[in-house]
Amino acid sequence: MTATAGKAAPDFEAPAYDQSEGFTNVKLSDYKGKWVVVCFYPGDFTYV
Amino acid sequence: MKKLGVDVLAISVDSKFSHKIWQEEELSKMVDGGVPFPMLSDAGGRIGKLYGVYDEENGVNIRGRFLIDPDGVIQAMEVMTPPVGRNFAELIRQIKAYQHVIKTGEVCPAGWQPGKTTLKPSPDLVGKVWKVWKPDAELG
Repeated sequence: MTATAGKAAPDFEAPAYDQSEGFTNVKLSDYKGKWVVVCFYPGDFTYV
Repeated sequence: MKKLGVDVLAISVDSKFSHKIWQEEELSKMVDGGVPFPMLSDAGGRIGKLYGVYDEENGVNIRGRFLIDPDGVIQAMEVMTPPVGRNFAELIRQIKAYQHVIKTGEVCPAGWQPGKTTLKPSPDLVGKVWKVWKPDAELG
């Protein structure tokens, strides 16, 4: 299953850092009922 | 984004430890109080592959942005290669437009901004969009 506009977003779970919660685990399906923007970026400490 | 009721998840292949130090050493100096959303660690691009943004050759996720509605459906997506940053204003416009569509059932034509003309889909509108929506006035 790959991401397609108009189709269900593929679920995922990953370790995360959150400034209010510290180290945590984030699962996309926990956000059901909310609008979510998922933003991929190349890497920490890069320029743009 | 908070005001629009939207949660943000940022994802890169960096570890959660790197995310923490980036937040503490740099981001918190750019954004007052640091970035207010979780930063996820996508080791090996496992999630990036699912979303079609993992660059095998360089081992990183390129810039991909996915707007997901409350039902878990991807409503909009944008994928860009690394050297150019995104336009935040366009993302906000899309969020407002999709939220308007879901709330009202009206649709938002090209270049729509809050307050601009929306269209109410119906058989009567077929072939008559020109009467209610003028590109020069709306996009100019």
